[in-house]
Amino acid sequence: MMLARVADSLYWIGRYVERAEHMCRLSDVMLNATLDRSDAATQVARIALLAVGDTNVSKAQAPYEAALALTLERGDGGSIFSSIAHARENARQVRDQITTETWERLNIIYLRMNNPDAVKAFHDGSQVFLHDTIADLHLFKGAGDATMSHGEGWSFLQLGVHLERAQLIGSLLDVVFGERRRRKPLADHFALTSILRMSCALEPYLRVYTAELQPRHILNFLMLDEDFPRSIRFCTTQIESHLAAITRHAGLSANAGPERLAGRLKARLHFADMDELEAQGASAFLKTVLDDCWAIHRSLYDAFVAYSLEDRLPA
Amino acid sequence: MEAIVSVKRDQPTADISNPAVPYDEMVKRAGAVHPHYTALEARLATLSPEELAERQRTQERFFLLQGITFTVYGAESSTERIIPSDILPRIIPGSEWSRIEAGLIQRLKALNMFLADIYSHQQILMDGVLPRELVLNAPSYRREMQNLYVPHKAYANVCGSDLIRQPNGEFAVLEDNLRVPSGVSYMLANREASRRVFPGTFRSAGVRGIDRYPDLLLTTLKSMAGNWRPNPQVVVLTPGVYNSAYYEHAYLARLMGVPLVEGRDLVVHDNFVYMRTTRGLRRIDVIYRRVDDDFIDPLTFRRDSSLGAAGLFNAYRAGNVMICNAPGTGVADDKAVYAYVPAIIKYYLNQDAILPNIETFLCREPAQLSHVLANLDKLVVKAVGASGGYGMLVGPHSTKAQQAEFADALQADPANYIAQPTIQLSTAPCLIDGNVEPRHVDLRPFILCGEKIVVTPGALTRVALRKGSLVVNSSQGGGSKDTWVLTESKGDAK
Repeated sequence: MMLARVADSLYWIGRYVERAEHMCRLSDVMLNATLDRSDAATQVARIALLAVGDTNVSKAQAPYEAALALTLERGDGGSIFSSIAHARENARQVRDQITTETWERLNIIYLRMNNPDAVKAFHDGSQVFLHDTIADLHLFKGAGDATMSHGEGWSFLQLGVHLERAQLIGSLLDVVFGERRRRKPLADHFALTSILRMSCALEPYLRVYTAELQPRHILNFLMLDEDFPRSIRFCTTQIESHLAAITRHAGLSANAGPERLAGRLKARLHFADMDELEAQGASAFLKTVLDDCWAIHRSLYDAFVAYSLEDRLPA
Repeated sequence: MEAIVSVKRDQPTADISNPAVPYDEMVKRAGAVHPHYTALEARLATLSPEELAERQRTQERFFLLQGITFTVYGAESSTERIIPSDILPRIIPGSEWSRIEAGLIQRLKALNMFLADIYSHQQILMDGVLPRELVLNAPSYRREMQNLYVPHKAYANVCGSDLIRQPNGEFAVLEDNLRVPSGVSYMLANREASRRVFPGTFRSAGVRGIDRYPDLLLTTLKSMAGNWRPNPQVVVLTPGVYNSAYYEHAYLARLMGVPLVEGRDLVVHDNFVYMRTTRGLRRIDVIYRRVDDDFIDPLTFRRDSSLGAAGLFNAYRAGNVMICNAPGTGVADDKAVYAYVPAIIKYYLNQDAILPNIETFLCREPAQLSHVLANLDKLVVKAVGASGGYGMLVGPHSTKAQQAEFADALQADPANYIAQPTIQLSTAPCLIDGNVEPRHVDLRPFILCGEKIVVTPGALTRVALRKGSLVVNSSQGGGSKDTWVLTESKGDAK
């Protein structure tokens, strides 16, 4: 049993932390592209910006500035700074629910980003800055895993992480493979490795498919791989199991809205067929996945957070 | 720390009415320290200024990482500051503490009896011990509390009195904080930090433990629930994350293992109070509220408050929930009622006060008013209703114009003012820029009252970090330090 507001905050900590981590990777890949003046580099920067949701692709001409803004722009609600600040603000509101060890990790990241010298630190070594931030975010997740009770609150946090991750990877895949936006097929080796880097998938991919980089395999891996923690399929499995745990804690029946939706989404990915998917086009499938994620988010609120009081008052 | 009320006194001028040199907690006379400070002094002698400064930095980092901060909101961005914490502990020997403890228990017992009386038969007013209108016209008197049953007659469950040590070495009570006193998290955090800074000295000194405070607080709160329900649900009610004492609210909730709720989490239905959980509504039995009286229920008190819950007070009246501290306790720490506390102790307990008051002039009495008016340049004048250092005149540091302004105000509304002599707080050694220097300090111990009264053997020592300053407020350059209360046998070496 926990306060609905607390569950809500934990869920958003998960989402914001995951978002910050993803944005760090996109920034990092963009910066990497600045080292290379080829067309492929511009293309990668454009993909990264589109995946962030920034439609002003002219920024792709100046990837360093774009990465700086994405990292530290305070006025931009989507920047890494904003995500970290929001995550920490939520953590402060539920300071009594998370362990000191977990809190400290998040607080350290915030203190560094909020430091007046942060911009200077970024200029001095932008990739080190982002690398450290990602490493600290991993420490945060690790500290949580090792010290927090894996009960209801933990499930809400994990639910936030995996719903956010499924949506972020889904959007990225749609930008790269969706036929709605595709300009020319991705074939360049640099571009393909960059896509894998954006989802932290390069090494795990190589282990499965070897150095043979093929768009079809990349799509298959990021969408349908069973074991890779950033594949959409893996995320849906997590979403389903954490929702089942929450439903059980709350004493609701398993037929309640969110769990049914999560089960359906999991099945979609579990039984997806790559050939069929290619024939129908990835966009349509990804749209269904993203719509399902939103539906789960909404039903989560209806069931556990913003429920109507009338049904719950004692008779 | 919003509820920490200021101790605003200033250096006396070369005035013969107060020639005293402040009492020093460590130094007895030139070259000799009090016996309970010898171990610490010996340890300090072995540390270089750099080593001390390094320890100070370690301590500050500890506070920063823990998020023990208050936020300063600016136009563009907000910055977080730590409340300065000095690494040198303030030490109180066991025998001295026993006296403080007895005095605090006596005082809270009498004040709770006073509250129970004021909110029922008002016998003390019938007997003319204090003027009826002084109590009933006090802004903190809550008519809504009249004839309401409070278990154990424990109205003030958590009390944080402000003590000061006078130049003669005797502790006196400056203020009784019976509303929502704060600072206890700093007491606990300072202890956690000072154990790391001086582990050896700490171990051998025989310092009494304070870490049971959260446990004792929970027991006190549960004892207020009576036996209605086997496992009473306790919560901490906070105004929210933007309150300057939010860290403390979260800290206490976490250490007690109870939910930290905000007004928006609460629902009152049929005079029962519930919180919204992921499993639906859950009934609440005891609310340790860190929200002022005015804001706990918009239906009963301030209508524009969104910090409390509508209908909460009626649920309290119905006996379905306990609010701790009870609303209306502020009348017993009113600045004018303060002057009568020794009489209140005498009246209910037939005892003399163990801890003395500071001499207080009530301007409502014509004779005392004329004395105050004649000595405005020497006294500290306070408005009765105000707190936090507002509406105050510090005589020795005021201009003629300010004095004239106060003289007018006093004559226009004498009942609203009291005056006290300017008192030198005692000094304790503090680490200032790598050097050990004396700074003025006060003492805030915490007393819990439910079925029983318990005093935690420790306190928050607040420090005026600016040289010569007597202002210990965190908002005005004040800091804090750990307070070591020694076991009876230690520290009393004669």
